[in-house]
Amino acid sequence: MSNGNPAALLPLLAFMGIMVGIGIYVRRVQARGFASNFVQQYFIGNHDLSGFVLAMTTVATYSSVSSFVGGPGMAWQIGFGWIYMAVVQVTAIFLVLGIFGKRVAMLSRKFDAVTVVDIIRERFQSDALASMAAFIIVLFFCATMTAQFVGGAKLFAAVTGYSYEMGLLLFGLVVVAYTSIGGFRAVALTDTCCAVMMMIGIVLLLYYVLQAGGGYGSIMASIHANHPEMLEPLSAGHMPAGLYLTQWILVGICTIALPQSVVRGISYKDTKSLHHAMLIGTVVVGFMNIGINFTGILAHGVLTDSLQSYGGVDNIIPKTIVTAMPQALVGFAIIGPLAASISTISGLLIVAASAIIKDVYLHHQHQKGVVPTAGRLRLLSMSVTAVIGVVVFCIALTPPSLIWIINMFAFGGLETAFFWTLLLGLFWRRANKLGAILSMGGGTIAYCLTQGMGLKVMGLHQITIGITVSLLFFLLGAYLGKPQEPQVLAKFFPDKPEKM
Amino acid sequence: MSEYEKYQQIKREARWTGLALFVLILFWLLAGFGLSGLPGEVLGMPLWAVTSSVGVWFFAILLVKLLTSLVFQDMELDEEKEAKQHE
Repeated sequence: MSNGNPAALLPLLAFMGIMVGIGIYVRRVQARGFASNFVQQYFIGNHDLSGFVLAMTTVATYSSVSSFVGGPGMAWQIGFGWIYMAVVQVTAIFLVLGIFGKRVAMLSRKFDAVTVVDIIRERFQSDALASMAAFIIVLFFCATMTAQFVGGAKLFAAVTGYSYEMGLLLFGLVVVAYTSIGGFRAVALTDTCCAVMMMIGIVLLLYYVLQAGGGYGSIMASIHANHPEMLEPLSAGHMPAGLYLTQWILVGICTIALPQSVVRGISYKDTKSLHHAMLIGTVVVGFMNIGINFTGILAHGVLTDSLQSYGGVDNIIPKTIVTAMPQALVGFAIIGPLAASISTISGLLIVAASAIIKDVYLHHQHQKGVVPTAGRLRLLSMSVTAVIGVVVFCIALTPPSLIWIINMFAFGGLETAFFWTLLLGLFWRRANKLGAILSMGGGTIAYCLTQGMGLKVMGLHQITIGITVSLLFFLLGAYLGKPQEPQVLAKFFPDKPEKM
Repeated sequence: MSEYEKYQQIKREARWTGLALFVLILFWLLAGFGLSGLPGEVLGMPLWAVTSSVGVWFFAILLVKLLTSLVFQDMELDEEKEAKQHE
């Protein structure tokens, strides 16, 4: 503790204070509205996000601490091939909003849906499927949140000199607090601040890396001379072609099915906002991915030794910050990556809580014919959000090895589970209950098993297996099982009116 | 727009978004692997490194701009609200 840098703490404390302030502010402003339809207000913000906020919250939730620490560390090692691969993420925002944005928005208004699981339940008329979806969301989200906590706290410790636990306390409790106090609307607004801070952080770090490295020209000249392979797309074999293919699937195309992204389609105000968000989101996500990885490459001007001497790619960015930034500005430099971490945590936390409150608790109450009072719902929603947050926080204090295994499964597992169920469910009349159950269950199991055992086909990442198996199961179920009831289909796929 | 027309429009938009993805993948292949053999430098970087990063990004922005101005249409998301407006 004694060798901590107090100058690094102040900006961070101020930033965290603003985040909590936003949570309390949102809570106050909405206090009256909360009474009428609490669950919708709390978990989705009552359909009133503007295009800018929609874009920022989608990008901020999608961009995690690893995009800011592990990613650029890899860029330092691999070179421009890593940017070439990372740039596929420019598709992530416009694809999910362009394909699901309006569809989900209209269906959610029709069914009063608040979660993606609500829509899946209506479409396939299956409580088993909905429970499975809610379970997958809570399990994988908790693991991902833990990883974000750990990544953020490690970075904090490495850069400021204070302890890991203190970092966790500082930003961990803050994110849990503002998320449970303010709900989705607070998440969206804080995400927007976080996204702005991430961009400022990138520019700041880039500037000081260029300064400390002796200018752009000399850094590039040294890369040309000492690391010519960094200027090749395949980076002398460090960046195999198969990796490009699987990254397109894993962080590009299939991200459209991530529930934390799709749920944002429920939250915006009107179609103008959606169109704006597609454009803004693409600009921002490209800026971040290219900017931070480019900074990672240029960090060669600052860190000139071998990778081993720095102890792995995860240490590259912390070391760069400490070496290149003036002491007084270190606190600002780590706000960016920490903002990436807390904005992902808050986005996942609110969706995980909605899965428990809306998809499990309220559904069971509804079946029993009980309507919980507004006060009870308010208390429950806030406490469930807080409890999940605190549990994950405690796991992050001493993460068990199991959590790393689940986290490794999480991203691809969520994609495998939801990709075909959402894509085919919302756009294909033949999609039915049996297909969706087989696809979500079978695909996820196949994905987790093959990844757990390290089985690969042609050396490709297991997402290729998961997504293929889940498609085959879906088609099998669609042709073997009964078609969905006509009255359900009529709601999802309106018929041509008789009279024109 | 009737509900039927809206769904047709949404399907159309989804299809064009998928097509935009396909075009972007082609551009990405061309801008990166396609140009990687070429000599020439831009700002000290090989040509392909520029076209495959900033180039792909700008191209994606252009595609989205085209999508939202040519294919995507504004529509009322709430059926009830729309029904009221027509009364």
